Amino acid sequence: MGREKRFGFLVDLRRCIGCQSCSIACKQEWNVPVGRYRSWVKQVAKGVFPDARKSFLPILCNNCANPICVTVCPVLASYQKPNGIVEIDAHKCIGCRYCMASCPYGVRYLHPDLGIAQKCNWCSHRTESGGQPACVEACPASARIFGDLEDPASEISRRISQNAVQPIKPEMGTNPRAFYIGLDDMTVEVKAHGHELMHLSE
Amino acid sequence: MSMDSTQLLYDIHNGETFGTLIAIYFYLTGLSAGSFIISTLSYGFGFVRFKPLGKIGIVIATLLLVAAPMFLLAHSGQRLRVWHLFVYLRLSSPITWGSFLLILYPINCIIYAFFMFKGNKRLTRIFGLTGIPLALMVHGYTGFILAFGKARPLWNSSIMPLLFLVSAMVSGIAMMMIVSVVRDRFFTKDRVINTDILSGLATMLGWCLVFDLFLTVCEVVVHSISHLGAQESTALLLSGSFAGLFLVVENLVGKVLPMFVMLSPRARRMVPLLLLASVLVMIGIYTMRYNVVVGGEYIPLL
Repeated sequence: MGREKRFGFLVDLRRCIGCQSCSIACKQEWNVPVGRYRSWVKQVAKGVFPDARKSFLPILCNNCANPICVTVCPVLASYQKPNGIVEIDAHKCIGCRYCMASCPYGVRYLHPDLGIAQKCNWCSHRTESGGQPACVEACPASARIFGDLEDPASEISRRISQNAVQPIKPEMGTNPRAFYIGLDDMTVEVKAHGHELMHLSE
Repeated sequence: MSMDSTQLLYDIHNGETFGTLIAIYFYLTGLSAGSFIISTLSYGFGFVRFKPLGKIGIVIATLLLVAAPMFLLAHSGQRLRVWHLFVYLRLSSPITWGSFLLILYPINCIIYAFFMFKGNKRLTRIFGLTGIPLALMVHGYTGFILAFGKARPLWNSSIMPLLFLVSAMVSGIAMMMIVSVVRDRFFTKDRVINTDILSGLATMLGWCLVFDLFLTVCEVVVHSISHLGAQESTALLLSGSFAGLFLVVENLVGKVLPMFVMLSPRARRMVPLLLLASVLVMIGIYTMRYNVVVGGEYIPLL
């Protein structure tokens, strides 16, 4: 007791098989509206046959240590807990979408019926009482590791110290707390444009 | 293996954030700030030539600034919670700055207009001059709103607040030229168009357009050699989906051609041509707001 936890997330991309179990578990856990996602797996085809493979990039909220969404939220609805998780107060949010506009990762959405911003909070209702996020429990390849970064004996701390890890877009200065083993910048940078993207999400 | 042999198979885009409503909001605050400044030219700074535009300028500035937040309201997901903006304060958020500016500035406009219509010259002058920093801030803060979107290169630029102020002046002056002609032609006894005011406004507009174009060129040139995201956004404007809107509507038709009209002593005397050019400028600046806001978030983040 006494010591504050500092949560972190690690995705081992060498293990991810792109099955989207995490996306589905998240949808079920949070009743995420149709067409919106808190967590998903971006898929990219790399190379030309026969030297080709699929590259997977699970996306989720980084619960940044220096969150721009908290800086710009005009009504204190987005806030950061001492354990590092960035939450949205559903009773304060006015749905101005400034957090969505400023987030470098595009992980927030406006709930179409409630009119407020929502996002992944690493299942704080589970994790703050010692449990694991729904996506971590659902991952069949054990590619997702959640835990306390302050505890040097935790699995996430050991894995981070033993492997080369990197967050997505560290240059944004948001100090993300989700790390990746084997992150491929080519996979991060491939983007769809406008109408093209709409087809993909349909 | 080159970057070209990577192909996106599946990704999620959680929807537009600001969109057209916010572009319209920025446009209206810009028009309001511009027409306020025109109104203070005679009542605040003593340029007597522009006196006929003092009253109509402030009435339009106030009306536009009452209309503008309606678009914010329409955009908000939880409209009845607007009072949160004044109770839960995050001083680091430009929207918090703006919620107070959007209250102070119209109040100042109304007091200024009150003394102007009462004929109290001293107090009109004082409230005209206090209104100028407010008018600049109420539009300048919208530039900060976008500039804080640090992952979007078209927004995240330190000249954004300045560019917004200059384009506010541009669109405001163009609107006042149209207003001036309409007023003279339909709402005065002698129905004579005051060409003196028009050519004064045209000169101002011409030089504001020069400055606006200069800033736009600076932005595009620097972005075109900057980091990958900035290069992508420049390509969007110069050869991508926004090229027509950006190059033709916003800059050629909306800025360059009107600039020649405004700065040519001969063209400046032709009222229909001035009117046409002013309409083009107003369309051009609306397109600029659209290009920046919607174009800025057109390229997905991941």
